[in-house]
Amino acid sequence: MRVELEAADLSKSYAGRRVFAGLALSASEGLVAVAGPNGSGKTTFLKILAGLLRPDSGSVRVRRGGADLSGDARRQAIGWAGPDLSFYEDLTAEENLDFFRRAAGRRADPAAVGRSLAEVGLADAARLHVGAFSTGMKQRLRIAFATLFDAPILLLDEPMNGLDAAGREMVSEVVAARRREGAVVLASNDPRDLSGADAVVEIAPARARLTRGTP
Amino acid sequence: MTAAEARASFFRRSLAVCGKDAAQELRRRIAVASVLFFAAASLTLVSFAIGPFGLPPEARERVCSALLWVLLFFSAATGLPRAFVREEESGTALALRLVAPATAVLAGKTLFNFVLFAAIAAVTAPAFALLLGWRIGSIGAFAAVLALGGLGLSIVSTFLSALVARASQKSVLFVVISFPLLAPLLLPAIAATVSASSGEIPWTALRVLVAYDGAAACGAYLLAGAAWEE
Amino acid sequence: MKALKVLLLLAMGATVVAAFLWPEPAQGFLGESSRIVFFHVPCAWTAALAFIVAAVYSLMFLVRGNPWHDDLAAAAVRVGLVFAVLALVTGSLFAKIMWGAYWNWDPRESSFLLLLFLYGAYLFLRAAIDDPSRRGRIAAAYALFAAVLMPFLFFVAPRVTQSLHPQTVINTQGKILMDTPTKTVFFAGLACFTGLFVWLFSLDARSARLDRVRASGI
Repeated sequence: MRVELEAADLSKSYAGRRVFAGLALSASEGLVAVAGPNGSGKTTFLKILAGLLRPDSGSVRVRRGGADLSGDARRQAIGWAGPDLSFYEDLTAEENLDFFRRAAGRRADPAAVGRSLAEVGLADAARLHVGAFSTGMKQRLRIAFATLFDAPILLLDEPMNGLDAAGREMVSEVVAARRREGAVVLASNDPRDLSGADAVVEIAPARARLTRGTP
Repeated sequence: MTAAEARASFFRRSLAVCGKDAAQELRRRIAVASVLFFAAASLTLVSFAIGPFGLPPEARERVCSALLWVLLFFSAATGLPRAFVREEESGTALALRLVAPATAVLAGKTLFNFVLFAAIAAVTAPAFALLLGWRIGSIGAFAAVLALGGLGLSIVSTFLSALVARASQKSVLFVVISFPLLAPLLLPAIAATVSASSGEIPWTALRVLVAYDGAAACGAYLLAGAAWEE
Repeated sequence: MKALKVLLLLAMGATVVAAFLWPEPAQGFLGESSRIVFFHVPCAWTAALAFIVAAVYSLMFLVRGNPWHDDLAAAAVRVGLVFAVLALVTGSLFAKIMWGAYWNWDPRESSFLLLLFLYGAYLFLRAAIDDPSRRGRIAAAYALFAAVLMPFLFFVAPRVTQSLHPQTVINTQGKILMDTPTKTVFFAGLACFTGLFVWLFSLDARSARLDRVRASGI
């Protein structure tokens, strides 16, 4: 049964400035691109979808088979990675992911953690402290975190940030694989990242239009 | 998931959070070091000013009891809030919010803070007693008061640190908001310490501490979501 | 609405005048000092009432998410703070007259002092959080957590402090034997002060709502 992410009439203001209003989105499979200029609120929008921020008005619902998901089921139906995501610098990459697994209520599974790290090209750095990671390595770890539980809804905010060509290809592969099994919502400034999307949400100041079809 | 499974899962997840905090603390030892330094500095001042003979014997119990808890309160205010503040400052709170419910995170950090407090008290209290020539009549009761008082202190401090973690003026704010809530704990704790010091077992005060700890734990559990989640 | 305010003004005025003219000073008090009970007790009562009001609206805010409830909770605390200060000041004046010292660490005095700190802490917490939506939830969490621990503040700690400090207080409520004039003025005062609280509280809440709406740029 497909998991559906549905957001309706979202609005958010910061310090008296209206970031956006009337945003809506519906995703259960395929790639949804979120486009808009810098400062238009793409990051805020994705954080609200992930449940990390409360909207001023509107609602975000995660449903499976028509029933709303809540608590752990909802948490694990959504994977998120954004520029604000940071890890425990005193712990290794392996320890970080292992901790997040156990904090999520899963049993420790070194093999699964190893696979996640291998998928993003960090197999060699598994035992390295995150504090010693480069920008690109940290970005890869963010992708590994987002895909840790194979969530059917993947929210990626600027996933190509700081990555070299090999890294960008890795992200493209991850997106291609996940968009077949579930939904990927990808926000980016770079139009190349958004090509091939099944739908586009464009956030212009205080307005938003959802259009179907490739841009 | 059955109720028993959910409970077991809750404990496992809290322990995971506690273990992670402990692993971080063992590698850096910032919280322990800062608190121990604070305690050592305070002890030095007090001991220098008062010393083993500076207090008349009849006043010694009450003054020492009060001073000890003042010291423990401010040590806790120095070291315990780091649990949540550090997560927000280093940006790891986002990841934690995505995987674990507020109750498990709060429980795990409370447990860690209690262990931290116990470690501090285990070092500070004996040193305090030694430096001030303070003879404790009933060590068992004394330990019980420290444990129960410390538990309440940990529960309230951890909960409040979740509140201040995303505010400004964190350290001042923490002391200001914690004092009115901790006074009803510290006063019975001091009274119980006085009794323990003179060899009596302060049953009433201990019961009060247990009741306070229970109420604080329930309150913190029910309000964890409002305190920590968005 | 206006009629009610006029009525309150008249009632309050009558009560104040009556407080000084009608009942005789109570036995066992120095001179006219017992008259302070007509002002001190209602202030203390409204200060405590404010906390209950704030806790109730905090709970409603957490459950429903309506920002107006948050405005109401904060207003209750702000007005409660004023009445708590008044209660402490009137109590201190009375203490000075009766026992020669403004402050005695009497259990009830101390409880109200802690209540004052609590109100101040709540407002400090609000001031330290910039994001309005977060501010309401965190303040509500604090208010409700404090409500859980309140019984310890008011009923337990005072009884324990008695073992630390000498007992100096006599029951200042003087409710044991109140003759009719005293009883009338006392309850009238209680009602008037409650009315005053409700009026000030609603004013403050409405003003806070205007500020919030203006600040959110809608």
